[in-house]
Amino acid sequence: MDGDVAQGLLRTMWRIRLFEERVAQLKRSLQVHGLIHLSIGGEGVAAAVCGQLRDDDAVYSGHRAHGHAIAKGAPVDRVMAELMGRVDGVCRGLGGSMHLVDAAHGFMGATGVVGGNLPLALGTALTAHLQGTDQVTVVFFGDGAVQAGHFNETINLAALWRLPVIFVCENNGMAEFTSREEHSTIEWVSDVVAPYGFERTTVNGSDVPAVYDVFGAFLGQARAGQGPMLLECVTYRRRGHYEGDPEKYRDPVAEQEWAERDPVAQLTAQAIAEGWIAPEEAGSIEAEAGAEIEDAVRFGRDSQFPEPGLSAELVYAK
Amino acid sequence: MAREIPYIAAVQEAIRLEMERDDTVVFYGQDVAPSDEDPLVQAFGRNRVRVSPISETAEIGMAVGLALSGYRPIVELLMAEFMLVAMNQVVNEAPRLRYMSGGQVKVPAVFKAGYGFTAGWAGQHTGSIYGMFMGFPGLKIALPATPADAKGLMASAVRDDNPVCYLINYLLVLEHGDVPEGEYVVPFGEAAIRRTGSDVTIVATGWTVGRALAAAETLAGEGIQAEVIDPRTLNPLDTATILSSVEKTGRLVIVDQGTRHGGASAVIAAEVAEHGFGTLKAPIAQVTALDVTVPYSEPMEAYVLPNEEKIAGTVRQVLGEAPVAA
Amino acid sequence: MQELDNDRLVWMFTQMLRIREFEERVKRTFEEHPGVIRGHTHLADGAEASIVGSLATLQPGDQLLATYRCHGYPITLGTDTKAIMAEIYGRKDGLCGGYGGSMHLADPGRGFLGTSGIVGQGIPQATGAAWGAQLRNQGQIVLGFFGDGASKQGAFHESLNLASLWKLPIVYVMENNGYNVATQSEQEDANAAAGEPLSVKAKAYSMPGVTVDGGDPVAVYEAVGAAGDRARAGDGPTLIESKVYRLSAHGNIIAPPGVPLHYPEHEAITVFGNREEYEAALRGDPVPRFRARLIEQGALEAGRADEIAQEVHDELDAAVQFALDSPYPEPEAAARVDYVYA
Repeated sequence: MDGDVAQGLLRTMWRIRLFEERVAQLKRSLQVHGLIHLSIGGEGVAAAVCGQLRDDDAVYSGHRAHGHAIAKGAPVDRVMAELMGRVDGVCRGLGGSMHLVDAAHGFMGATGVVGGNLPLALGTALTAHLQGTDQVTVVFFGDGAVQAGHFNETINLAALWRLPVIFVCENNGMAEFTSREEHSTIEWVSDVVAPYGFERTTVNGSDVPAVYDVFGAFLGQARAGQGPMLLECVTYRRRGHYEGDPEKYRDPVAEQEWAERDPVAQLTAQAIAEGWIAPEEAGSIEAEAGAEIEDAVRFGRDSQFPEPGLSAELVYAK
Repeated sequence: MAREIPYIAAVQEAIRLEMERDDTVVFYGQDVAPSDEDPLVQAFGRNRVRVSPISETAEIGMAVGLALSGYRPIVELLMAEFMLVAMNQVVNEAPRLRYMSGGQVKVPAVFKAGYGFTAGWAGQHTGSIYGMFMGFPGLKIALPATPADAKGLMASAVRDDNPVCYLINYLLVLEHGDVPEGEYVVPFGEAAIRRTGSDVTIVATGWTVGRALAAAETLAGEGIQAEVIDPRTLNPLDTATILSSVEKTGRLVIVDQGTRHGGASAVIAAEVAEHGFGTLKAPIAQVTALDVTVPYSEPMEAYVLPNEEKIAGTVRQVLGEAPVAA
Repeated sequence: MQELDNDRLVWMFTQMLRIREFEERVKRTFEEHPGVIRGHTHLADGAEASIVGSLATLQPGDQLLATYRCHGYPITLGTDTKAIMAEIYGRKDGLCGGYGGSMHLADPGRGFLGTSGIVGQGIPQATGAAWGAQLRNQGQIVLGFFGDGASKQGAFHESLNLASLWKLPIVYVMENNGYNVATQSEQEDANAAAGEPLSVKAKAYSMPGVTVDGGDPVAVYEAVGAAGDRARAGDGPTLIESKVYRLSAHGNIIAPPGVPLHYPEHEAITVFGNREEYEAALRGDPVPRFRARLIEQGALEAGRADEIAQEVHDELDAAVQFALDSPYPEPEAAARVDYVYA
């Protein structure tokens, strides 16, 4: 972690933070439509993980994917246009929030099915393994996905074939509207995979330098063809499961505690304290990100809706 | 006594009444009553009302096991597409065990889910996939289109000794309608004639029933009287009511929110073509979703679905009053 | 659980012999009466000790579900072997009227709720039946049987998590015979590949994982019995890994265009060329081993053991003859709507 790295991380984190806050506003004013899940509170993990990857590394995510896509390099204007259902969106308006794809940057997809991309990640990792390349696959999922059968099936195969895949679990202690203890007797996801004996670590997802370092170490091993590994990041979902969620299940005391662990605020404070950035730079990073997001909103609004017939053209590859 | 309540409340009322009536009924699923303060938990306790993790194979398989051991589970699956994660339990286990055992066992289970929420929920959450379930004998399918039917069909689903896919349409959840108080049961296999007419029969399912009724109003202004039939259950399917209507009108337009192929409309069309051929004055027409994954963007999403204009336009075609589309 | 007295031990031996003889007769049918058995059969020879040791722990009201390798369970529960054989022969007097066949036996009146032909898919069903037992609150339990191959299925993971979370009264009995059809466990299981017992998987579900010699019916009885007691006390599930070796191939071959043929040799030989592994298993055959042990400890006399063998032989002669003589169902019976719908 040095000045350049810290700045890069903060840039990405502010970009995600302001993007998500803007999307929440646009959703309320019906300019963004459908089922939206925001990554506010998860910016640090997205930035620290995806920021260390190349375009040819593959990232898969779940339904809470805006942060991952942006951190992996998907342009904010094209992601915004996608959420507005416009033809210049990354998926030409066909996919929406839960189905973002930016193949050119290696963001191979979000999914609406909990844990649905876990087996897909195996496939990409298998390709790297068979071809002997140093390409790495990362798959993001939440703690709710861990109880699904396809999680276990994927873990067994990844361990058996020693595939270069890094499983990144964002454990926010909630799956939709119920807390983890209603889903499992095992508190930490890294304990669920204990029987498989591969490397796993649990870190505080708001401690961005820690996430950066641990992931960096795993990345080095995966580039050397080793794997799999599991990184469990303990995070807090700052908003409801989806935008519009009445959130009857929230605990106000925990809310206060976690506001004090906001990854953006934490990293900013630490970066200034360590001298990685000057205090005034913090403000300008935020302002620049804000300007990017406003440009993205304009881009989205100026883009056309797709022609209705577009959907029929894209059912089959030609 | 009837009073107006929303569709979603009618479903909940039915579940509650059945659980009061029969203490072998249990209810569970993802996000079902997570809090102990929930009224269902307060009424029936944690033995009969549970929240389960995202584990569809286990959730549905457990329902089979519960049913085999004498209980009557209702499993909340939230979205019909999530049943696909556990397709084996839904189609290869639940409906087949009775037959394979030579009638020794029965599997009274309700697989409850919502479908068709075309409100930007995009490709994996908006489908109308029940058509494929019509091909699995032993599995019943209920599609309530009104709040009263939502209550009455749930009661029948719970009392039925077979596995039932009970599918609510998410576009209808806040629709208000008259719902009888107290015990109210709508039998399976009895279609409802929502509007009488003698010029054309429109068979419509779920949310499309409302669209068909709106089209019928428009057509009435043009002197065309449409009869609108809501089958209410796809299995068992009340072909008798449909055939008898077509015998009167000579024309059939089928409307369904699912895709054209492998769907409910194709099954109904084939039944009438075969058993009602002599009564038809025009080919049968289908108004379905396009054969595409439902797209996210609003104008495209609307384009893909059946709507009032498409239904009315198709009726005019079968009456020979508009050119047939290429 | 109860102590095993001599009568009980001799009963266990008798059931093991009945299962062995039954499976031998099924196998011989392919040669002696070709064409009578159609489709796939899967034999439990080699697993008798595990099946009988497990079922010996059952109390009234307990239930079980099994896999397609299911003949041994109803035999032990007391279902008439004539009806089981007739079912396998597709006859009207079969246990399921000829509707199910070898893979889909059921005797719910004796607690055998049924099977699944799909690997792992009976595990969630057993889990649901266990919730039923919990609701009845009469101290009943459920045994869920499956093979090692099933532990790679999502259904295993989901079910064990739920059973542990809800403390369901179930004992999961994994009969680990080292093979999943023609694949060895080490080829498909990360734990097996690392030389670990599969019972370690239990750690991910907060339940005890116990590995037991499935060739020793008393050891199985003790392990499953202890797990059953735990379940009855409301303390939740256990995963038992019962190590067995099946003495037949996975199933009979079916040659095109669908003519079922005899049983080939075990995959250890036909796929891996490892005849020694198979012959070692034959030497360790649990049935003669248990016989010898009971005689040695004075629980059974050799003469009585021979008599039992003859009784079993006669029972199975009668079962085969009954099945051969039983008529086929009327073709129209296939359309029995009251079997499609309750």
